[in-house]
Amino acid sequence: MQLTDIALNSLRRRKGRMIFLVLGLAIGVATVVALMAITDTMQTDIAVKMDEYGANILIVPKASDLSLSYGGVTVASAAYDVGELSLTDLDSIQTIHDARNISVVAPKLLGAITVGERPVLVAGVRFPDELRLKQWWQLDGAEPAGTYDALAGVRLAQALDLHPGATLKLNGQSFRVVGILAENGTQDDDILFIDLAAAQQVMNRSDGISLVEVAALCIACPVEEMVEQISEVLPQARVTALRQAVTLRMETVGQLGRFALAVAAVVTAIGGMVVLTTMLSSVSERRQEIGLFRAMGFRQQHVMRIILSEAALVSLAGGALGWLAGMGAAVLLTPHLANVTLPVQWNPWWAFGAAGGALVVGLAASVYPAMYAARLDPTIALRSL
Amino acid sequence: MIELQDVTKTYNTGEALVYALRDVNLQVAEGEFVAIMGPSGSGKSTLLTILGAMNSPSAGQVTIDGINVYQLGAERQADFRHEYVGFVFQQLQLLPYLTAQENVLLALAVAKLPKATKIARAREVLAQVGLAGKEGRLPYQLSGGEQGRVAVARALVNRAPLLLADEPTGNLDRATGVQILNLLRELNRTGQTVVMVTHDPHAASVAGRIVNLLDGQIVA
Repeated sequence: MQLTDIALNSLRRRKGRMIFLVLGLAIGVATVVALMAITDTMQTDIAVKMDEYGANILIVPKASDLSLSYGGVTVASAAYDVGELSLTDLDSIQTIHDARNISVVAPKLLGAITVGERPVLVAGVRFPDELRLKQWWQLDGAEPAGTYDALAGVRLAQALDLHPGATLKLNGQSFRVVGILAENGTQDDDILFIDLAAAQQVMNRSDGISLVEVAALCIACPVEEMVEQISEVLPQARVTALRQAVTLRMETVGQLGRFALAVAAVVTAIGGMVVLTTMLSSVSERRQEIGLFRAMGFRQQHVMRIILSEAALVSLAGGALGWLAGMGAAVLLTPHLANVTLPVQWNPWWAFGAAGGALVVGLAASVYPAMYAARLDPTIALRSL
Repeated sequence: MIELQDVTKTYNTGEALVYALRDVNLQVAEGEFVAIMGPSGSGKSTLLTILGAMNSPSAGQVTIDGINVYQLGAERQADFRHEYVGFVFQQLQLLPYLTAQENVLLALAVAKLPKATKIARAREVLAQVGLAGKEGRLPYQLSGGEQGRVAVARALVNRAPLLLADEPTGNLDRATGVQILNLLRELNRTGQTVVMVTHDPHAASVAGRIVNLLDGQIVA
């Protein structure tokens, strides 16, 4: 017979009350887990959508005063060397504190090159990054594979009569058009996209970059923080956060997250009160028994350990059950409530979090009943026998 | 050696100060069997709880084997009860959901002994009170006399030098009461110090010395 045996024995004898307590805690934990899982899934869904919908940070040289227009954003003029970015700046971007949240870094070199008698806006890009950034691009033809392969915007292709397989010369260098971009209503329709290194060569601007588009997963960090961090490592650049339609939805999700936390706080408080009243009632019922323990030489700390062991076992059971129920509810409800397509992730750490949270709440709420029990005077307890 | 010097215990009822014990002086030698007698309200149970380190006197001091019991802190007093005192309660106080052996083991729950030693000691003391073979029975499966023996076994299992018994025959039929008294007498013959509270002269007659209490004072 050990103290834990006494605690287990007590739980067995009060099955109904303890099942009620486990269920009470489980409902609380399940509510919190379900809310957290649903909002987490929504946030992940937004992050994925953001990744699909292009850049949210634009980096351009600070010193530029003449410009070309790209995507509605004013960028540095290719005609001036002042304030140009360089390839080494790309490495600096990867050194910021939240670099792990950077999804794509897409540098561009822009320039106007005359083809025939017509000036053409040429963009030198890193095609793997660009294609990942602009997942909405639809190609008639193939993706560029060689250094001198090019993609042409649909309106440019119409104007110059370009088609997949056609060739054109840029400052004496021959390029092969491997694909035509389907119309997407942006300035991409008028641009000739070539490899960045090839663009630097034909524009005679070795190492030069006109602008950098960055796609950052800003669920984990606000985009403004990322902008600030990049500005610190690139003082010569102007870094701008691009407001996109998805921002509003992110704020909504943020509000949902705060709502989930508020509900969690209320549920935790209610759970704590349930544990407190149940444990106090249990102690009150057991005054005789506890008095007997004290009369036999149990220290106050021994009595506390018995009560807290009971609370710990019940809380852990409630936490584990609540995690299962909460995750189950999230799996069932998320597609209907949040209109997201991503499945709810079964994060094992949440199980520890749920059990640990329930344990902390259960123990905290049981401290007073345990102290009350420990301070019972053995003679008063025995008198009531 | 137990020594009470000018022990007084008062209770404040809110309206008046009630004296449960007044200037009690008492010595109990090692190996003695003392019966404390007196009518209801004379202070017998209060005296027993003070002897058992459970009830701090309002004045005076209690020394057991040279230890001034009530100068110890609350936790040390608990340790003292565990090491020095075995208690047989009036209602026996067996926990109905535990077997005889488990009820006895309860008194060893906080003892720093290996589990096997605890079990061996519980079985030994149950055998000593004549309950060998009945260790696994629940209290309701035992007769009144056997339940009393379990209560005595539980008080003995810590090998405490002082055995306190509060009306151990109070709720038992006469034959069962005699069994318990005989058991206490046998234990005393082996050197166990016993202090028993009773209002029954027949029960008191088995003791080596009788102390009479009246209105909180020793009268004879």
